[in-house]
Amino acid sequence: MTTTQDTPQDTTAQYAPETAPRLDWATLAPDVYKAMIRLDTAARQGLDPALYHLVKIRASQINHCAFCIDMHTKDALAAGESVERIVQLSAWDESRHFYTGKELAALELTEAMTVLTDGFVPDEVYEKAAKQFEETELARLISAITVINAWNRFGVTARMTPGHYQPGQHK
Amino acid sequence: MTVRTRLLDPAVGQAMSALSATAKKGLGDPALAELVVIRASQLNHCAFCLDMHLAIAREQGVSEKQLDLLAAWEEAEGAFDERERAALELTEAVTVLTDGFVPDAVYERAARHFDEVELAHLIGLIVAINNWNRVMVSRRIPPGGYTP
Repeated sequence: MTTTQDTPQDTTAQYAPETAPRLDWATLAPDVYKAMIRLDTAARQGLDPALYHLVKIRASQINHCAFCIDMHTKDALAAGESVERIVQLSAWDESRHFYTGKELAALELTEAMTVLTDGFVPDEVYEKAAKQFEETELARLISAITVINAWNRFGVTARMTPGHYQPGQHK
Repeated sequence: MTVRTRLLDPAVGQAMSALSATAKKGLGDPALAELVVIRASQLNHCAFCLDMHLAIAREQGVSEKQLDLLAAWEEAEGAFDERERAALELTEAVTVLTDGFVPDAVYERAARHFDEVELAHLIGLIVAINNWNRVMVSRRIPPGGYTP
Protein backbone atom coordinates (compact mmCIF):
# COMPACT_ATOMS: atom_id res chain seq x y z
CA MET A 1 0.00 0.00 0.00
CA THR A 2 1.38 3.38 -0.97
CA THR A 3 0.45 6.03 1.51
CA THR A 4 3.62 8.04 1.52
CA GLN A 5 3.13 10.21 -1.55
CA ASP A 6 2.99 13.91 -0.79
CA THR A 7 0.70 14.80 -3.68
CA PRO A 8 -2.51 13.33 -5.07
CA GLN A 9 -1.92 10.27 -7.18
CA ASP A 10 -2.56 11.40 -10.77
CA THR A 11 0.65 13.11 -11.82
CA THR A 12 -0.76 14.28 -15.16
CA ALA A 13 -3.76 16.14 -13.73
CA GLN A 14 -3.64 19.87 -13.09
CA TYR A 15 -4.52 20.04 -9.44
CA ALA A 16 -4.87 23.33 -7.60
CA PRO A 17 -1.68 24.41 -5.86
CA GLU A 18 -1.14 23.36 -2.27
CA THR A 19 -1.50 26.19 0.22
CA ALA A 20 0.66 26.84 3.26
CA PRO A 21 -0.90 26.71 6.74
CA ARG A 22 -2.12 30.04 8.14
CA LEU A 23 -0.40 29.74 11.47
CA ASP A 24 2.18 27.43 13.00
CA TRP A 25 0.21 27.47 16.23
CA ALA A 26 2.01 24.58 17.93
CA THR A 27 5.37 26.37 17.62
CA LEU A 28 3.93 29.77 18.51
CA ALA A 29 2.09 28.42 21.56
CA PRO A 30 4.07 25.35 22.71
CA ASP A 31 2.31 25.54 26.09
CA VAL A 32 -1.05 25.13 24.36
CA TYR A 33 0.26 22.27 22.22
CA LYS A 34 1.67 20.50 25.28
CA ALA A 35 -1.65 20.89 27.08
CA MET A 36 -3.45 19.40 24.07
CA ILE A 37 -1.11 16.40 23.99
CA ARG A 38 -1.68 15.86 27.71
CA LEU A 39 -5.44 16.07 27.17
CA ASP A 40 -5.33 13.74 24.18
CA THR A 41 -3.34 11.16 26.15
CA ALA A 42 -5.75 11.33 29.09
CA ALA A 43 -8.85 11.13 26.91
CA ARG A 44 -7.89 8.03 24.94
CA GLN A 45 -7.17 5.87 28.01
CA GLY A 46 -9.20 2.71 27.99
CA LEU A 47 -11.03 3.45 24.76
CA ASP A 48 -11.20 0.83 22.01
CA PRO A 49 -8.77 2.18 19.36
CA ALA A 50 -10.84 0.89 16.40
CA LEU A 51 -13.94 2.65 17.71
CA TYR A 52 -11.97 5.81 18.40
CA HIS A 53 -10.65 5.87 14.82
CA LEU A 54 -14.21 5.86 13.51
CA VAL A 55 -15.22 8.63 15.93
CA LYS A 56 -12.21 10.73 14.95
CA ILE A 57 -12.84 10.36 11.23
CA ARG A 58 -16.56 11.16 11.54
CA ALA A 59 -16.03 14.27 13.70
CA SER A 60 -13.30 15.45 11.31
CA GLN A 61 -15.66 14.99 8.37
CA ILE A 62 -18.42 17.06 9.99
CA ASN A 63 -15.95 19.75 11.04
CA HIS A 64 -14.32 19.71 7.59
CA CYS A 65 -10.81 19.24 8.98
CA ALA A 66 -8.78 18.14 5.97
CA PHE A 67 -5.58 17.56 7.93
CA CYS A 68 -7.45 15.46 10.51
CA ILE A 69 -9.21 13.38 7.85
CA ASP A 70 -5.84 12.70 6.21
CA MET A 71 -4.28 11.70 9.50
CA HIS A 72 -7.08 9.61 10.98
CA THR A 73 -8.02 7.71 7.84
CA LYS A 74 -4.36 6.80 7.32
CA ASP A 75 -4.00 5.74 10.95
CA ALA A 76 -7.21 3.70 10.75
CA LEU A 77 -6.07 1.95 7.57
CA ALA A 78 -2.65 1.28 9.06
CA ALA A 79 -4.34 -0.23 12.12
CA GLY A 80 -6.23 -2.64 9.89
CA GLU A 81 -9.56 -0.86 9.49
CA SER A 82 -11.34 -1.73 6.24
CA VAL A 83 -11.58 0.72 3.36
CA GLU A 84 -15.27 -0.11 3.13
CA ARG A 85 -16.06 0.95 6.69
CA ILE A 86 -14.10 4.18 6.28
CA VAL A 87 -15.76 5.01 2.96
CA GLN A 88 -19.24 4.33 4.34
CA LEU A 89 -18.67 6.43 7.43
CA SER A 90 -20.10 9.65 5.99
CA ALA A 91 -23.35 7.75 5.35
CA TRP A 92 -23.23 5.44 8.38
CA ASP A 93 -26.93 5.88 9.12
CA GLU A 94 -27.71 4.32 5.74
CA SER A 95 -25.07 1.61 6.03
CA ARG A 96 -25.69 0.41 9.56
CA HIS A 97 -24.83 -3.21 8.78
CA PHE A 98 -21.18 -2.20 8.43
CA TYR A 99 -21.01 -1.25 12.11
CA THR A 100 -21.67 -2.72 15.55
CA GLY A 101 -24.37 -1.42 17.88
CA LYS A 102 -21.67 0.18 19.99
CA GLU A 103 -20.11 1.89 17.01
CA LEU A 104 -23.47 3.18 15.78
CA ALA A 105 -24.32 4.62 19.20
CA ALA A 106 -20.88 6.22 19.42
CA LEU A 107 -21.20 7.74 15.94
CA GLU A 108 -24.60 9.17 16.75
CA LEU A 109 -23.27 10.69 19.97
CA THR A 110 -20.27 12.04 18.05
CA GLU A 111 -22.53 13.87 15.64
CA ALA A 112 -24.75 15.30 18.37
CA MET A 113 -21.79 16.50 20.43
CA THR A 114 -20.04 17.94 17.39
CA VAL A 115 -23.01 19.96 16.13
CA LEU A 116 -23.81 21.59 19.48
CA THR A 117 -24.70 24.91 17.89
CA ASP A 118 -27.86 23.38 16.40
CA GLY A 119 -29.19 22.30 19.77
CA PHE A 120 -28.39 20.09 22.69
CA VAL A 121 -27.51 16.42 22.81
CA PRO A 122 -30.93 14.75 22.45
CA ASP A 123 -32.04 12.38 25.22
CA GLU A 124 -32.63 9.66 22.69
CA VAL A 125 -29.05 9.86 21.43
CA TYR A 126 -27.59 9.96 24.92
CA GLU A 127 -29.73 7.06 26.09
CA LYS A 128 -28.77 4.93 23.14
CA ALA A 129 -25.12 5.50 24.02
CA ALA A 130 -25.81 4.83 27.70
CA LYS A 131 -27.30 1.45 26.76
CA GLN A 132 -24.19 0.44 24.84
CA PHE A 133 -21.50 1.85 27.15
CA GLU A 134 -21.29 1.61 30.90
CA GLU A 135 -20.94 4.93 32.69
CA THR A 136 -17.14 5.10 32.96
CA GLU A 137 -16.72 4.04 29.36
CA LEU A 138 -19.30 6.59 28.26
CA ALA A 139 -17.48 9.35 30.15
CA ARG A 140 -14.33 8.34 28.26
CA LEU A 141 -16.16 8.43 24.95
CA ILE A 142 -17.48 11.91 25.75
CA SER A 143 -13.92 13.06 26.52
CA ALA A 144 -12.63 11.50 23.33
CA ILE A 145 -15.29 13.17 21.17
CA THR A 146 -14.44 16.46 22.86
CA VAL A 147 -10.75 16.08 22.11
CA ILE A 148 -11.12 15.29 18.42
CA ASN A 149 -13.33 18.36 18.18
CA ALA A 150 -10.49 20.33 19.75
CA TRP A 151 -7.94 19.08 17.21
CA ASN A 152 -10.41 19.77 14.39
CA ARG A 153 -10.68 23.40 15.55
CA PHE A 154 -6.92 23.89 15.51
CA GLY A 155 -6.60 22.11 12.16
CA VAL A 156 -9.28 24.13 10.40
CA THR A 157 -8.47 27.52 11.94
CA ALA A 158 -4.74 27.21 11.29
CA ARG A 159 -5.55 25.62 7.91
CA MET A 160 -3.13 22.76 8.46
CA THR A 161 -2.18 21.16 5.16
CA PRO A 162 -3.40 17.61 4.48
CA GLY A 163 -1.53 15.03 2.44
CA HIS A 164 1.79 14.71 4.21
CA TYR A 165 0.83 12.61 7.19
CA GLN A 166 2.58 9.27 7.64
CA PRO A 167 0.65 6.63 9.59
CA GLY A 168 1.73 6.50 13.20
CA GLN A 169 3.50 9.85 13.00
CA HIS A 170 1.57 11.34 15.94
CA LYS A 171 1.33 8.64 18.55
CA MET B 1 -33.94 18.15 33.49
CA THR B 2 -31.56 16.02 35.47
CA VAL B 3 -27.84 15.41 35.33
CA ARG B 4 -27.00 12.54 33.00
CA THR B 5 -23.64 11.73 34.52
CA ARG B 6 -21.11 13.62 36.58
CA LEU B 7 -18.30 11.28 35.61
CA LEU B 8 -15.29 12.79 33.91
CA ASP B 9 -11.86 11.21 34.24
CA PRO B 10 -9.94 13.47 36.68
CA ALA B 11 -6.90 13.36 34.38
CA VAL B 12 -9.06 14.66 31.54
CA GLY B 13 -10.55 17.40 33.71
CA GLN B 14 -7.10 18.48 34.90
CA ALA B 15 -5.71 18.53 31.36
CA MET B 16 -8.70 20.60 30.20
CA SER B 17 -8.12 23.07 33.04
CA ALA B 18 -4.44 23.30 32.16
CA LEU B 19 -5.30 24.02 28.52
CA SER B 20 -7.76 26.76 29.52
CA ALA B 21 -5.32 28.34 31.96
CA THR B 22 -2.34 28.42 29.62
CA ALA B 23 -4.38 29.74 26.69
CA LYS B 24 -5.90 32.48 28.84
CA LYS B 25 -2.53 33.45 30.25
CA GLY B 26 -0.96 33.62 26.78
CA LEU B 27 -3.75 35.82 25.48
CA GLY B 28 -2.99 38.21 28.32
CA ASP B 29 -6.39 39.93 28.37
CA PRO B 30 -8.65 38.39 31.06
CA ALA B 31 -11.68 40.59 30.28
CA LEU B 32 -11.55 39.78 26.57
CA ALA B 33 -11.06 36.10 27.45
CA GLU B 34 -14.38 36.14 29.33
CA LEU B 35 -16.20 37.75 26.38
CA VAL B 36 -14.83 35.01 24.09
CA VAL B 37 -15.71 32.23 26.52
CA ILE B 38 -19.23 33.55 27.13
CA ARG B 39 -19.94 34.00 23.43
CA ALA B 40 -18.86 30.43 22.62
CA SER B 41 -20.97 29.15 25.52
CA GLN B 42 -23.98 31.04 24.13
CA LEU B 43 -23.52 29.45 20.71
CA ASN B 44 -23.07 25.99 22.22
CA HIS B 45 -25.98 26.51 24.66
CA CYS B 46 -23.92 25.59 27.72
CA ALA B 47 -25.94 26.71 30.75
CA PHE B 48 -23.30 25.67 33.30
CA CYS B 49 -20.58 27.54 31.40
CA LEU B 50 -22.69 30.70 31.01
CA ASP B 51 -23.53 30.78 34.70
CA MET B 52 -19.89 30.32 35.65
CA HIS B 53 -18.32 32.73 33.21
CA LEU B 54 -20.88 35.50 33.64
CA ALA B 55 -19.97 35.42 37.34
CA ILE B 56 -16.25 35.54 36.53
CA ALA B 57 -16.73 38.33 33.99
CA ARG B 58 -18.57 40.45 36.56
CA GLU B 59 -15.81 39.78 39.08
CA GLN B 60 -13.31 41.00 36.52
CA GLY B 61 -15.21 44.18 35.89
CA VAL B 62 -16.61 43.44 32.44
CA SER B 63 -19.46 45.95 32.04
CA GLU B 64 -23.11 44.93 32.29
CA LYS B 65 -23.65 46.66 28.97
CA GLN B 66 -21.14 44.38 27.24
CA LEU B 67 -22.59 41.29 28.87
CA ASP B 68 -26.12 42.33 27.93
CA LEU B 69 -25.22 43.01 24.30
CA LEU B 70 -22.76 40.18 23.74
CA ALA B 71 -25.24 37.90 21.95
CA ALA B 72 -25.83 40.72 19.43
CA TRP B 73 -22.33 42.20 19.40
CA GLU B 74 -22.37 42.75 15.65
CA GLU B 75 -25.33 45.10 15.96
CA ALA B 76 -24.19 46.69 19.19
CA GLU B 77 -22.38 49.69 17.84
CA GLY B 78 -20.14 51.37 20.34
CA ALA B 79 -20.26 48.56 22.89
CA PHE B 80 -17.22 46.61 21.61
CA ASP B 81 -13.96 47.90 20.18
CA GLU B 82 -12.39 46.58 16.97
CA ARG B 83 -10.10 44.15 18.77
CA GLU B 84 -12.98 42.68 20.72
CA ARG B 85 -15.08 42.43 17.55
CA ALA B 86 -12.27 40.63 15.71
CA ALA B 87 -11.94 38.15 18.60
CA LEU B 88 -15.70 37.56 18.78
CA GLU B 89 -15.96 37.03 15.04
CA LEU B 90 -13.16 34.46 15.20
CA THR B 91 -14.83 32.80 18.20
CA GLU B 92 -18.03 32.34 16.23
CA ALA B 93 -16.26 30.95 13.15
CA VAL B 94 -14.15 28.50 15.15
CA THR B 95 -17.16 27.39 17.20
CA VAL B 96 -19.54 26.80 14.29
CA LEU B 97 -17.17 24.69 12.19
CA THR B 98 -19.91 22.40 10.96
CA ASP B 99 -21.37 25.19 8.81
CA GLY B 100 -18.14 25.73 6.92
CA PHE B 101 -14.55 26.76 7.37
CA VAL B 102 -13.03 29.78 9.09
CA PRO B 103 -13.37 32.48 6.41
CA ASP B 104 -10.22 34.30 5.28
CA ALA B 105 -11.77 37.69 6.05
CA VAL B 106 -12.48 36.62 9.64
CA TYR B 107 -9.04 35.11 10.15
CA GLU B 108 -7.29 38.12 8.62
CA ARG B 109 -9.20 40.58 10.77
CA ALA B 110 -8.10 38.66 13.85
CA ALA B 111 -4.52 38.54 12.56
CA ARG B 112 -4.52 42.35 12.26
CA HIS B 113 -5.49 42.82 15.91
CA PHE B 114 -3.47 40.05 17.54
CA ASP B 115 0.16 39.13 17.01
CA GLU B 116 0.86 35.50 16.11
CA VAL B 117 1.56 34.35 19.64
CA GLU B 118 -1.58 36.05 20.96
CA LEU B 119 -3.58 34.63 18.07
CA ALA B 120 -2.35 31.07 18.73
CA HIS B 121 -3.45 31.48 22.36
CA LEU B 122 -6.77 33.04 21.39
CA ILE B 123 -7.47 30.02 19.17
CA GLY B 124 -6.40 27.81 22.08
CA LEU B 125 -8.86 29.59 24.36
CA ILE B 126 -11.72 29.20 21.87
CA VAL B 127 -10.88 25.49 21.60
CA ALA B 128 -10.66 25.16 25.39
CA ILE B 129 -14.11 26.63 26.04
CA ASN B 130 -15.54 24.50 23.24
CA ASN B 131 -14.14 21.52 25.16
CA TRP B 132 -15.90 22.56 28.36
CA ASN B 133 -19.11 23.30 26.48
CA ARG B 134 -19.08 19.75 25.05
CA VAL B 135 -18.44 17.91 28.30
CA MET B 136 -21.00 20.00 30.20
CA VAL B 137 -23.81 19.94 27.62
CA SER B 138 -23.47 16.23 26.84
CA ARG B 139 -23.50 15.27 30.54
CA ARG B 140 -26.22 17.90 31.21
CA ILE B 141 -24.42 19.49 34.14
CA PRO B 142 -26.85 22.07 35.57
CA PRO B 143 -25.95 25.74 36.00
CA GLY B 144 -25.34 27.14 39.43
CA GLY B 145 -22.51 24.91 40.56
CA TYR B 146 -19.97 27.68 40.39
CA THR B 147 -19.28 30.12 43.20
CA PRO B 148 -16.70 32.84 42.59
